[in-house]
Amino acid sequence: MRKYLVGAVGLATVLCIGGVASAGDIAPGKAMDMVLLPKFLGILPFDQAHQGAEEAAKELKNGKPLQFLGPTPENSVAGQIEITTNATTQGVAAIMISNNSGDQIVPAAKAAQAKGVKVVTWDSPIPSADGEDVFVAQVDFTETGKVMADMALNILGADGGKFAILSASPDAANQNAWIAAMKEALKDPKYAKLQLIDTVYGNDQSEASYNQANALVDKHPDMKLIMAPTSVGIVAAAKALQDGNLCGKIKVSGLGVPKEMLAYAMNGCAPQFALWSFVDLGYLTYYTAYGLASGAIKAEEGATFKAGRMGDYKITKDPTRAKGLRVLMGPFSIYNKDNVEAASK
Amino acid sequence: MTVLGRLKSWEGLLLAVLVAVVAMNVVRSPYYLGVTNIANLFQLEIEKIIVALIMTLIIINGEIDLSVASVMGLSACVLAWLFQMGTPLPLAIIAGLLSGLAAGLFNGFWVAYVGLPSLAVTLAGLIGFRGIARILVEDRAIGGFPLWFNTMGQQPVLGPMTASIAIFFVLFAIIVVVLHRSALGRLVYVIGNNAQAARYSGVRVKRVKMALFAASGVVAALAGILYAARLGSVRGDMATGFELDVITMVLLGGVSIFGGSGNLVGVGLSILVILNLRNGMGLANITGNTQTSVIGALLILSVLVPNMAQVLQSSWKGRNT
Repeated sequence: MRKYLVGAVGLATVLCIGGVASAGDIAPGKAMDMVLLPKFLGILPFDQAHQGAEEAAKELKNGKPLQFLGPTPENSVAGQIEITTNATTQGVAAIMISNNSGDQIVPAAKAAQAKGVKVVTWDSPIPSADGEDVFVAQVDFTETGKVMADMALNILGADGGKFAILSASPDAANQNAWIAAMKEALKDPKYAKLQLIDTVYGNDQSEASYNQANALVDKHPDMKLIMAPTSVGIVAAAKALQDGNLCGKIKVSGLGVPKEMLAYAMNGCAPQFALWSFVDLGYLTYYTAYGLASGAIKAEEGATFKAGRMGDYKITKDPTRAKGLRVLMGPFSIYNKDNVEAASK
Repeated sequence: MTVLGRLKSWEGLLLAVLVAVVAMNVVRSPYYLGVTNIANLFQLEIEKIIVALIMTLIIINGEIDLSVASVMGLSACVLAWLFQMGTPLPLAIIAGLLSGLAAGLFNGFWVAYVGLPSLAVTLAGLIGFRGIARILVEDRAIGGFPLWFNTMGQQPVLGPMTASIAIFFVLFAIIVVVLHRSALGRLVYVIGNNAQAARYSGVRVKRVKMALFAASGVVAALAGILYAARLGSVRGDMATGFELDVITMVLLGGVSIFGGSGNLVGVGLSILVILNLRNGMGLANITGNTQTSVIGALLILSVLVPNMAQVLQSSWKGRNT
C-alpha cells in the first residue's frame, strides 16, 4: 500500500511538472553566438558560472561555441564596454553581462539591443535597467537577511544569545543591504532571543578580518556567534576561533564558499553557512538568454519557462530597482557537515 | 645611419606593422571593414588618443605627465557634481575644463618654476586629483544628463564620425602645425634635447614648460568630458589607469622617453597600429590578459629594437675602423 502511494505521488509530480513545462519549453538545437561576460577574468565564482553556462549550452545543443570573454580587473569598465561593442559588431544573438560598470555600460548595451542582440545581466544588474532585457538575480536581498537569521537561530538554539556581525567594508552596498535585511528579519518574535550586539568591518582582507574577529572575542566575553556575510570574513573568523581554541564556545556562520569552509564545517567551528551556486547561476543565465534569443521567451512580466534541471522560472518586475525585469534564482544552499564535502568537489 | 634615418626607418617599420595588422584583420573578420566598426575602432579609445597628442609634446619636451587620467576623472567629476547641484550643463562643462587648466598650471608651476622632476610632481597629481574627484562624487554614479550631451558623445555628427573623433582630427592637425611648423615647436625640441643649453641661449624654458603642462591639463579635461558624454554617467574611478595606455602609444610612436626626438607621424601610426590590433583581437574574441600581453610585447619590442639597432650599428662601425 505504501509503495503504491509513493508511486502515485511520484507519477502525479511528473505529470504536474510535464504540464507546466509545456507552457514555456525552450527548443534546443539552434545555432546562436552567445557571449558570457564576467566582471573580469581570473576568479573562482566566474569560472564556476562559466562551467554552468557550458553545461546549459551542451544540453541545449547550441551549434556555436559559447564565448567566455572578460576584461582584466584593472580595465574592467572600459573592457566590458569594448567587449559589448565588438560583440554587437559581430551580430551575436545574446550577451550575458555581470555588470561592473554601473550605468556606464548603458550606451553600449542600448546599441547592442538596437542591433537585435539580447542583453541579459546576471550577478550584478544595470542599475537603471536601460539597455537590459532581464536580470538573472542570484538571491533576493530580503531572503538573504532571513536565511542569516534562521542560521543564527539554528546554531544558538531556542535559548538564543548574543552575536556580532563581521562585514566587508562599511560602504559595500550588497553587504549593507543584507545586514539591513537581517535586522528587519530579526524583528519577528521568533528571533526575540537573538541579540545583535556589534558590527565590525574587516574590509574583505583576511588579516584585517582575522584581527577584527579576535577583537570581538576580547570585547564581548558572552558572545556566542559571529555572523559574516562575506566569503573572506567567514573564513578569517573561523580561523581566528580555531586558533584560539574557542570553537566549543563561539560559532561562525554567514556566507561562505564550501571549498574554503570544508575544514571548519567538519570540526564544528562553522556548523552552518550559506551561499548560492555560481554554477547554477551560469546555467540559469544561459537558459534565459538562449530562450530570449531563440524567441521561446519574451522579456515581459509573467513569462514562464523551464530551465532544464533547475525547473520552472518566471519573469517578474524587479522590486529592488525602479524599473527592470528579473528572474529570481534562489534559494540559498545551506551547507553543514553532511553536505559540505560533496559541494567542495 | 643618422638619427633622422633611424627615425624614418622606425616609421617605415610602424607602417609595415600597420599594413600587416590591417591585412590580418581583413582576412580574419568579415566585420572589420564595416563603416560602423571603423568608427567604433576610434570611438572605443578616443579619449586616450586625444590625450596622446598632447602627451607627445610633453615627452618630446623631456618631461612626463602621469596625472592625465586623474585629470580626466577630475573634470568629469567636477562637471557631474556641479550638474547635480543644479548648475546648467554648459557652465558645468566650462568649470570642468577650468579644473583641468588649474591642475595643469599646478603641475607646471612645480616643474617649471620650482624645478622639481615632472615624474614626482605628476605622480602626486595622479593621486591627488583622483582623490578630489572621488571626494566630489563619492561612491555613486551621476547620470541623467540632457540628451544633447549624451548625443554629443555617442552619435555620429559628421558622416560616421562622432564629435569626439572630429575633435581628435582637428587637434591632430593643430598639433602637427605647432610642433613641426612653428617657432614654439622648435623650442619644444631644443628644450627636450638640452634644457640647460636652451636656457643659456635665451630660450624661455619655464614659459614653454608651463604652457605645455597647462595645455595638457585642458586637453585631458576635455577628454574626460567627452568620456562622460560617451558613457552617459560619471563615477569617481573614471579613466583610472589610462595614463599608461596613453604613454604606450607615444613611446611606440618612436618618441624618446629622454626627450628631444620623435614626431607626430610616428605617434599617428602607432595609434593606428594599437587601435587596429585591439579591434582585430576583439573581433577574434581575444580579450583580457592575452590582449594586454600582446600590446605589452609590442612596447617592449619598440624599446628594444631601436636600441639594439644602435648597439649593432656601433659594433659594426668598430669592426670597420
